[in-house]
Amino acid sequence: MSDARLLILVLALPFLGSILAAFLPTRARNAASFMAGLIGLIASALLLSFYSTLATGQTVRHVAPWLPSLGLDFTLRLSGFTWLFALLVLGIGTLVVLYARYYMSEEDPVPRFFSFLLAFMGSMLGVVLSGNLIQIVFFWEMTSLFSFLLIGYWHHNQSARDGARIALIVTCLGGVCLLVGMLLLGHIAGSYDLDVVLGRGDIVRAHALYLPMLILILIGAFTKSAQFPFQFWLPHAMSAPTPVSAYLHSATMVKAGIFLLILLWPVLAGTQIWYLIVVTIGLATLLVGAWSAIFQHDLKGLLAYSTISHLGLITLLLGLGSPLGLVAAIFHTVNHATFKASLFMAAGIIDHETGTRDLRKLSGLMKFMPITATLAMVAAAAMAGVPLLNGFLSKEMFLAEALESQSGTLLDWALPILATLASMFSVLYSIRFIHQTFFGPPPVDLPHTPHEAPHWMRLPIEILVLACLVVGIIPTLTIGPLLQIAVRSVLGDRTPDYSLAIWHGFNMPLLMSVIALVGGVLLYRRFGGRLNAMTNSPFIGRLKGRRTFETVLAALIDGASALHRMVSTKRLQVQLRILIVVTLAAGSIGFLTYGYSVGNGPTIMLDPIFAVLWILGGASAIGAAVQAKFHRLAALAMVGVAGLSTCISFIWLSAPDLGLTQLLVESITLVLMLLGLRWLPQRLPEFWPGGRTPFNVRLRRGGDILIAVAAGLGAAAIAYAMMTRPEPEGISRFFLEQAYHGGGGTNVVNVILVDFRSFDTLGEITVLAIVALTVFSLLRRFRPAAESVELPVQQKVQNAFDAGREDREHGDTAAHYLLVPRVIMEWMFPIILTCALYFLIRGHDLPGGGFAGGVTASIAILLLYMASGTRSVEARLNIQPVRWISVGLMFAVLTGMAAWLAGYPLLSTYFSYLELPLIGDMPVASALLFDIGVFSVVVGTTALILIALAHQSIRTPRAPKPEKAPDKIPDMEGDT
Amino acid sequence: MELQASLSLIAPEIVLSLSALALLLIGAWGGDKTARMNSIAACIAIAFCFAIVAPRVCAGVGGPDAVAFFGQFKADAFSGFAKLLIYAGSVAALLIAPNYLERVGAMRAEYPVLVILATLGMSIMVSAGDLLTLYIGLELNSLAAYVLAAFVRSDSRSAEAGLKYFVLGALASGILLFGMSLTYGFTGTTNFNAISTVVAGGLSGGAMFGLIFMLVGLAFKISAVPFHMWTPDVYEGAPTPVTAFFASAPKVAAVALLARVALEAFGTQVDAWRQVVVFAALASIIVGALGAIGQKNIKRLLAYSSINNVGFILVGLAAGTAQGAASMLLYLAVYVAMTVGSFVALLMLKNENGDQLESISDLSGLRSVSPVLAFCLMSMMFSLAGIPPFLGFWAKLVVFQAAVDANLVVLALLAIAASVIGAFYYIKIVKVMFFDQPSGVVLGKSDGVHWALLIISTLVISPLGYLATSWFGDLAQRAAATLFLLS
Repeated sequence: MSDARLLILVLALPFLGSILAAFLPTRARNAASFMAGLIGLIASALLLSFYSTLATGQTVRHVAPWLPSLGLDFTLRLSGFTWLFALLVLGIGTLVVLYARYYMSEEDPVPRFFSFLLAFMGSMLGVVLSGNLIQIVFFWEMTSLFSFLLIGYWHHNQSARDGARIALIVTCLGGVCLLVGMLLLGHIAGSYDLDVVLGRGDIVRAHALYLPMLILILIGAFTKSAQFPFQFWLPHAMSAPTPVSAYLHSATMVKAGIFLLILLWPVLAGTQIWYLIVVTIGLATLLVGAWSAIFQHDLKGLLAYSTISHLGLITLLLGLGSPLGLVAAIFHTVNHATFKASLFMAAGIIDHETGTRDLRKLSGLMKFMPITATLAMVAAAAMAGVPLLNGFLSKEMFLAEALESQSGTLLDWALPILATLASMFSVLYSIRFIHQTFFGPPPVDLPHTPHEAPHWMRLPIEILVLACLVVGIIPTLTIGPLLQIAVRSVLGDRTPDYSLAIWHGFNMPLLMSVIALVGGVLLYRRFGGRLNAMTNSPFIGRLKGRRTFETVLAALIDGASALHRMVSTKRLQVQLRILIVVTLAAGSIGFLTYGYSVGNGPTIMLDPIFAVLWILGGASAIGAAVQAKFHRLAALAMVGVAGLSTCISFIWLSAPDLGLTQLLVESITLVLMLLGLRWLPQRLPEFWPGGRTPFNVRLRRGGDILIAVAAGLGAAAIAYAMMTRPEPEGISRFFLEQAYHGGGGTNVVNVILVDFRSFDTLGEITVLAIVALTVFSLLRRFRPAAESVELPVQQKVQNAFDAGREDREHGDTAAHYLLVPRVIMEWMFPIILTCALYFLIRGHDLPGGGFAGGVTASIAILLLYMASGTRSVEARLNIQPVRWISVGLMFAVLTGMAAWLAGYPLLSTYFSYLELPLIGDMPVASALLFDIGVFSVVVGTTALILIALAHQSIRTPRAPKPEKAPDKIPDMEGDT
Repeated sequence: MELQASLSLIAPEIVLSLSALALLLIGAWGGDKTARMNSIAACIAIAFCFAIVAPRVCAGVGGPDAVAFFGQFKADAFSGFAKLLIYAGSVAALLIAPNYLERVGAMRAEYPVLVILATLGMSIMVSAGDLLTLYIGLELNSLAAYVLAAFVRSDSRSAEAGLKYFVLGALASGILLFGMSLTYGFTGTTNFNAISTVVAGGLSGGAMFGLIFMLVGLAFKISAVPFHMWTPDVYEGAPTPVTAFFASAPKVAAVALLARVALEAFGTQVDAWRQVVVFAALASIIVGALGAIGQKNIKRLLAYSSINNVGFILVGLAAGTAQGAASMLLYLAVYVAMTVGSFVALLMLKNENGDQLESISDLSGLRSVSPVLAFCLMSMMFSLAGIPPFLGFWAKLVVFQAAVDANLVVLALLAIAASVIGAFYYIKIVKVMFFDQPSGVVLGKSDGVHWALLIISTLVISPLGYLATSWFGDLAQRAAATLFLLS
């Protein structure tokens, strides 16, 4: 198998294991841990086999095309450094699996734990092995997700839930920042491929977007590595099961940020801004972490803050920008992972066997668990930087680098002092950890009787502590070569000379080390006893990261809700208003940017009479809008006036055909609406306490009027500007030219309707027919509510009058109601019908046509119904609207199809003139037959709707609803 | 022959309209007992259309070959890609509805007919090559949607949703129409390509007005801020299957239509509309994220989530490049899967009587009651939050990449910041499901169709989805490229 394939296997194994573990039965603790351990071992072994290749300085790459067009490939990349890091992930992971087998209790669903743990291991390996920027982010976010699941594993525990949530939110925030940062980096470098990016450091650092990109990537790395001010999530993540802490907070999760900084170090580091940001943050984290660690009473809390502090140290080293600093950073990363993992595990054993992690309760455990105590002591000594242990070596390098720093800022002389101080703190809390736990009088009041942990549970610690010792004593033989290939893979030719020797002679770093060690011991002797009584870290105790976080979160939620309440509404009126206002605003911006100019086209000469007409129409429209809410009848009447002024405008502007049609349509729709009006519930008159409309209501209405007027004027102004510009070349010229020659008519509109676009007309009359049928079927079973067919007041008065007189019968007055108009309307019937026929026939050449004729005929019927009442009309006149409709449609279709018989396309027309005696020239076009169809459909349609409406008046009303509690009346007006 | 070629290009639309008419007749004669059968028939019809369109998308058809009716209609790969998503969303809406509607006593034979008509409208919308085609498609879709929103007539919330949607939608249509007439008045044409040629030399003030008003009308249809207010109300009030439909297919159609107008008709004047789109994108992301935080009803929450997602889609559009259009299509694809999955999961939350549950607090402890359902919903939420390994991450990635490559760094940054806020409430749902004490409300059984749809959509957005991304990304890219072909 090729190297590249092996690499895929290494990455895939943990994920496969994770899926397998998820399907194991809940109680399969042994099977799950055995499988997880095996996977860790196999993957580590596979990874080790790469050593020979990497030792020669090569990089193993595997590229699988994924989205070549987006510059995204699935790339695996193994260099010396990533190899070392991957080994750390897998090696410590395997030890943690072994440890967790004994740590987790049988009641826990252990396979799920291992499933998450393996998935996390895989994600972490993914981060390490990725050779593509985006891919790194992908796995990076996955580590956040799985660490969330791991930290929240004991979900019945409130603090575990909170810790998991805080960790997820903080690291996700960092993750998305990192995503954009990486996108920017890829954008700057021109490729997302890591090797390409690494080779373009100079271009990247000189780019204008370097700073935003740097900050985003740093936020990503700092949130993950718990750097100040994002450090607060880490201590809260300590509610996780201890194996999780041992794994996440020693070798993996928090090291991901460090890993990234080292990986991108050749590209990003070396600028002034890098130095300033990274060193400052690192230093702050180092001090804050070390200081807080001193005052913790929870074993794991102490370790958590010490982790923060050490991470700050590594960040600081990277910030220095010197190759030697990088060497020290890599070295300390490895060392920290070893001793911190063992310390966490030891803390877990103490917790497991005594039932508490509270330093104040623990004491004298040396007698009960001597082996664990010894191991913990060695590991803690490594953490404190005691000679002959690995921590000492990297700390010496760190102190030496702190002295070397040459940036020309205040940091130069502050660094050595602060570094020594932090080391002193580190010694102090290490001593406290050991002394408080293992020495002193035997413990009292412990939940469990302490005893030594099982051997297999201690084994991982033993291995790690052995590593600390071996590396500390014979560094050149053990870690030396590994460190060398790791450093060389990052720095290449810039690899500096460095020495891993334990003894460098008497020099400044040694002196600082000694000061730190002695100072730490002295401080503990002086203040150690008092530490147990402190509840807070002095000076920075008030800096509660979590409280700030919760406050920010709460403020965000409150702010969001407040904002939401402010800008959102469920009320339709307000939504409509916003829609209009925003549109108006958008239009106004356009006005302001582009100005307003009228085109060169002919402007309308404003005739005073015409202006009066329009003012009348406009006023009626406004009046209709105002009255629509209070008096529907009045509103309808005013709508009629507005429509009428439109009709007159058409006629004024020489469009008689349009005017006629508009007039007819206006009348019929108005009457039909009028007939429907009576079924709407009656509006109650407006009533305000005190008889005055409140100010806010008047204000709102005034505002609405202003908005409406502005929107209307704006629309009119734009339309005017458009219409005074040259018209686009449309098809009207064609119709004007062809109407007579091609269609045989001088009424161009009619020719268009029945000839040029007769197919459209056919469709329209079909729709018309469907609409009528729909209205009819909707109203067929409709019975008006009892109150809406109540007799009008006037009629009631008349009836009462009749009933009160002896010589009159009930309903006598009503029978003669509107007698004169009724007679006139009945007489008008044949006249209007004749007129309708006239319109129909002359339509081809003069204003009129099937549609206008049809509407006219309908008006005749309508008037008859209104004048005589439904019963009396239907007793004498049998209109069969459905038949009219079907005959009309048939006419239209057959006329059209007749063209086929003559070999022309559907609906072609034939026309000629017929000379009739008395009447004169009569155009005979097949279009006339088509128009008759239109006429018939229109008549039938209108009559059908009319009948459907009219029949309501003779129907018995719906039985009144049984009394029940009144429903909540919908608040249509809203904020009144 | 031109007519025949055109007819063959609109084959899916012909199939849809004929089947709508046929099903209407069957429903009219057979009554409501044909409703289920009609639904199945409708699914088959839409699946048939899917089969017609799919090869054209795979082949990346574009250019003059894909133009029907003298440029009025474009059956290119871009419209094809959108159509596939629309058909998928419509089929889902047809499949999930019967059980729900039967329970509330509102399963009528018209439901599948209306869905098909809406689908037909959307199909026409995304293929529009002309303002008139655009309007016909849009109105056909909208009118069917108004009725669907009010489909459960006995429920006052549903009726209110229908009315609100209609009134506001009609107003928005009016504004759109005004913008279209201005565009025609100042450019002298309604054809997208011709408009693009006319405005290439410079955008006159009048055409700018037309563009703005058209954007307003279309922004309403995709419920972008500040025209989003109807969304939570309508989503909450409409029957849940209809809401699922609204949130998936019509979004795709409206976004694709917007892309056509912006990139095809006004593609030569990207700067003219970019600011508007950038504003709408940012405002949508932020309002969507903030608005979701305080919600207690899952449907309202998902409504805000859809507003939020539209913002991200608009980020892709704002790029104004082929890459941006492709990222938009990809985001839409993932979004449809996530939305359908979330709503199906919502439909599966029933109490012991089988009544629907809609409150977030009802979710608490869902893990112990129905682990599979909880896991699927968790995947949806993480995917919506854009957390890997779920496919939502990829969707966000391509969009941001397009924005960064188009030098819209600030937009990407702000969008990112808001997306963190968005992640907050998705995570909150996961927390409620997994960590809170079981409320023991969710007890009802769900039927196989729901389970199947839920599992399918979960699989799509699961890490397995990444196996298809290479192929899918390629498809989207070729589809987006057809937008930039002059035909």
